[in-house]
Amino acid sequence: MALPLVSKMTGNANDAVVEYYHDDVVRFLVMCSLVWAVLAMTAGVYVAAELIWPGLGFDHPWLSFGRLRALHTNGIIFGFGVSALMATAFYSVQRTCHVPLALPKLAWFTGVAWQFGVLAGGLSLLAGMNGGKEYAELEWPFDIVIALLWVYFGLVFFTTIARRKIKPIYVSNWFYGGLIIVIAMLHIVNSLAMPATWFKSYSAFPGAQDAIVQWWYGHNAVGFLLTGGFLGMMYYFLPKHADRPIWSYRLSIVAFWAFTYSYIWAGPHHLHYNSIPDWVQNLGMGMSLILLAPSWATMVNGIMTVSSAWEKLRTDPALKFIVLSLAFYGLATFEGPMMAIKSVNVVSHFTDWTIGHVHSGALGWNAMITFGTFYFLVPRLVGGKLYSVRMANAHFWMALAGTMLYVLAMWGAGVSQGLLWLSLDQIGELSFSFKDIMASMVPYYLLRLVAGLIFLAGAVMMTYNLAMTIKGRPTVKVRPPEVTAYRVDS
Amino acid sequence: MRTTIQSWLFFRLLTKPSVVFVELSETRPSPYSVFFRFIFWLALIPPVFAYIGAANFGWHLGAAEPLFMSNEELIAISIAYFIALLFGFISTAMIAQWMAATYGARHSLGIHFAVVTIVAAPLAVGSIVHLYPHVFVNVLVLIPTLIWSMYLLYRGLPIVLKIGPERGMLMASSLIGWLLVAAVSLLGLSVGLWGSGIGPSIGV
Amino acid sequence: MNGLQLHKKLEENSALLIFGILFVSAIGGLVQIVPSLFQESLSTPTPNTRDYSPVELLGRDIYVREGCSVCHSQQIRPLLAEIERYGPYSQAGEFVYDRPFLWGSKRTGPDLHRIGGKYSDIWHRVHLINPRDVVPNSIMPSYPWLVDRDANAAEDIQARLRALQRLGHPYDDETIEAAPVAVQGVKEIDALIAYLQMLGTGHDASALDAHGAGH
Repeated sequence: MALPLVSKMTGNANDAVVEYYHDDVVRFLVMCSLVWAVLAMTAGVYVAAELIWPGLGFDHPWLSFGRLRALHTNGIIFGFGVSALMATAFYSVQRTCHVPLALPKLAWFTGVAWQFGVLAGGLSLLAGMNGGKEYAELEWPFDIVIALLWVYFGLVFFTTIARRKIKPIYVSNWFYGGLIIVIAMLHIVNSLAMPATWFKSYSAFPGAQDAIVQWWYGHNAVGFLLTGGFLGMMYYFLPKHADRPIWSYRLSIVAFWAFTYSYIWAGPHHLHYNSIPDWVQNLGMGMSLILLAPSWATMVNGIMTVSSAWEKLRTDPALKFIVLSLAFYGLATFEGPMMAIKSVNVVSHFTDWTIGHVHSGALGWNAMITFGTFYFLVPRLVGGKLYSVRMANAHFWMALAGTMLYVLAMWGAGVSQGLLWLSLDQIGELSFSFKDIMASMVPYYLLRLVAGLIFLAGAVMMTYNLAMTIKGRPTVKVRPPEVTAYRVDS
Repeated sequence: MRTTIQSWLFFRLLTKPSVVFVELSETRPSPYSVFFRFIFWLALIPPVFAYIGAANFGWHLGAAEPLFMSNEELIAISIAYFIALLFGFISTAMIAQWMAATYGARHSLGIHFAVVTIVAAPLAVGSIVHLYPHVFVNVLVLIPTLIWSMYLLYRGLPIVLKIGPERGMLMASSLIGWLLVAAVSLLGLSVGLWGSGIGPSIGV
Repeated sequence: MNGLQLHKKLEENSALLIFGILFVSAIGGLVQIVPSLFQESLSTPTPNTRDYSPVELLGRDIYVREGCSVCHSQQIRPLLAEIERYGPYSQAGEFVYDRPFLWGSKRTGPDLHRIGGKYSDIWHRVHLINPRDVVPNSIMPSYPWLVDRDANAAEDIQARLRALQRLGHPYDDETIEAAPVAVQGVKEIDALIAYLQMLGTGHDASALDAHGAGH
């Protein structure tokens, strides 16, 4: 199916009655996302350094690893990630529905309030308000604010869709819709808690049940936010950039529903050999393996979209990033099911391999597709050229080198840990003390720090590059096309 | 077009890679000759040195004591390593050939074997460091060689396959995707075997 | 109606699409979570497992606040090497009073589920103030601020206990009444040590099989 065409109108006499796309809020969210990227990646580099030089905590609670690490993960997921997803969802939903954003004031409110929420939430984590559930650390008042803002996000998004001028809802919107609906469900259930005070609550679920609920949330936050949400980004910006329709419409349907159905089952692979029933673990493992099929189907759809159009391609930094992000998406979605196999997991669980796996996804897939999208989107938002293509090309190599080094360092560290922790000598006694194994990780952690610094430096360069691109230029006013490009009569 | 590759060509990868690329682009080598004269031997280097190293020094995974394994196990692991590498080389060449149609690149299997040889050469030669199987020493040597390999991939692929640098870039990135998956499969396969009781003795 | 036709309906009606996504994505969670909420083996405490005392509870909340679970697991898997290193493997019944659960996902430091009683209180004190005083290569952060702060500085121990009581923990009203006195003068570091020292004392030896290993 063809993508809607964007018509640029300048100096139209009928300005007063004409509605334009609301792109200012998109521009705001993109800039926020960039700021969070730099801040949260800096926090990541700092905690990586603390694992080598623990003195960097300076005996100050706010700089302590346990608190700063939560700031890093929350800043990346909710600051950088969600801001980027909101920005691109708002941008693409208007263009795929041929209508300006519904409820633009609510969209602005949601976007701005979200930033304050993430900022206050981050500070609350440093101050020690921590619920203790990974990737859901924020305490209950923040959970309520998040839930409310998320509903507003959904209201803006789905109302826009309801007012669309094109009958079929385009595929990117299914993924953004999945993001909004499923994350709301996960967030609300997993955050159920009994408040004791304003700053402290206790989970509604105890022990093993809490573990099952938490990893149902934890795994699917990755699934529907970091995978599904960003696939929405891919489904809009990749065909747009390649100036081609998506390679297979049918494949996108099958992959979407298979993905939405099967992802949710895979959470228990985070709890292999833990104190939960075997049948839950085995079900989680089986569904994790099945999940590979829809994950890769989507990747194939993306790669073939680019590949079937090579004669038209203008390779700019944006496309390079998007194609490379698909390569890392392929790695991460293969590595995940593999690590869900019990005999692999027995070695990899609790090690730095997990950290490496997360970052092959977060750096290689999420960050890179966002970088590529921003390099494409920002110049178009302001109707100008990218400030420096050379800088963006340099950024590509830094992102690639940083990600590769990071992943390799953590593979090395993780496999060593897993093997050494479990290794027994001839008479069946432990071969190595925990302390010795921990001390031997320094070289890997140094390598990881270097990798993180390279990646961060690239992100800083991009932020400067895009800020200079935007500087002094107003947002281009774009009007929905009068004649819809594609319509189905039922 | 020439159908053979001079052996010394690959030794000049370090000094004058661009000359090698151009020369290869003018050649149409047969897959058998590339395989038996280069790939087979390159794939032999890592397991042989890994075997010698592990038998004499044990695996140093960082902790104080090295990890030793019986000779039979070492031989089995080395052979498995060799087969995995051969599989990696051949599958990468075939995938590159399959992609070539999409990217409008040269199509003969021989030339894709040559591309794989170019990319693998620094890593295979660098893996002489397996002679001392201390993981961090290996990482320290293999990372610069990996960067060199990636440089050769991104620079060499478009020239050898005679496609524009832009399409070459996309094809190289797609190949990296495949190589990463292959690498992590190797890792997962090894760990899975250890977890099932084959290889170093672990208490699971 | 085949799949593609069904999908066509969904992609042309936003309400149906929303409902479709919600329905399809809810199935897996329902199948896995609902039965485990009613599974008795997950919610029945082992004979030795008891509720946290007010001091221990404050200590546990400090453990959560400082993000200790980011680097320390509390989950010993039924593997030979793991049992040798840390002690008897963890059983679901030991965690029934844990809100939230603190099994962790990463061992930058060692597992702590059976840490209780392994070291003296004074060792923990020195270790928490500066880990490198007792473990030279340690990369654990120092926690000197725990020394001076009152564990119940916010005077909310009763609110905490009552919240847990509402969730069904067997605290009686006398315990809650007496709690402020029980935690009087206890510093954060003492509370944390009290928690660490009772960790893992709830395991039920009779339920473990002879070799202690599960597979």
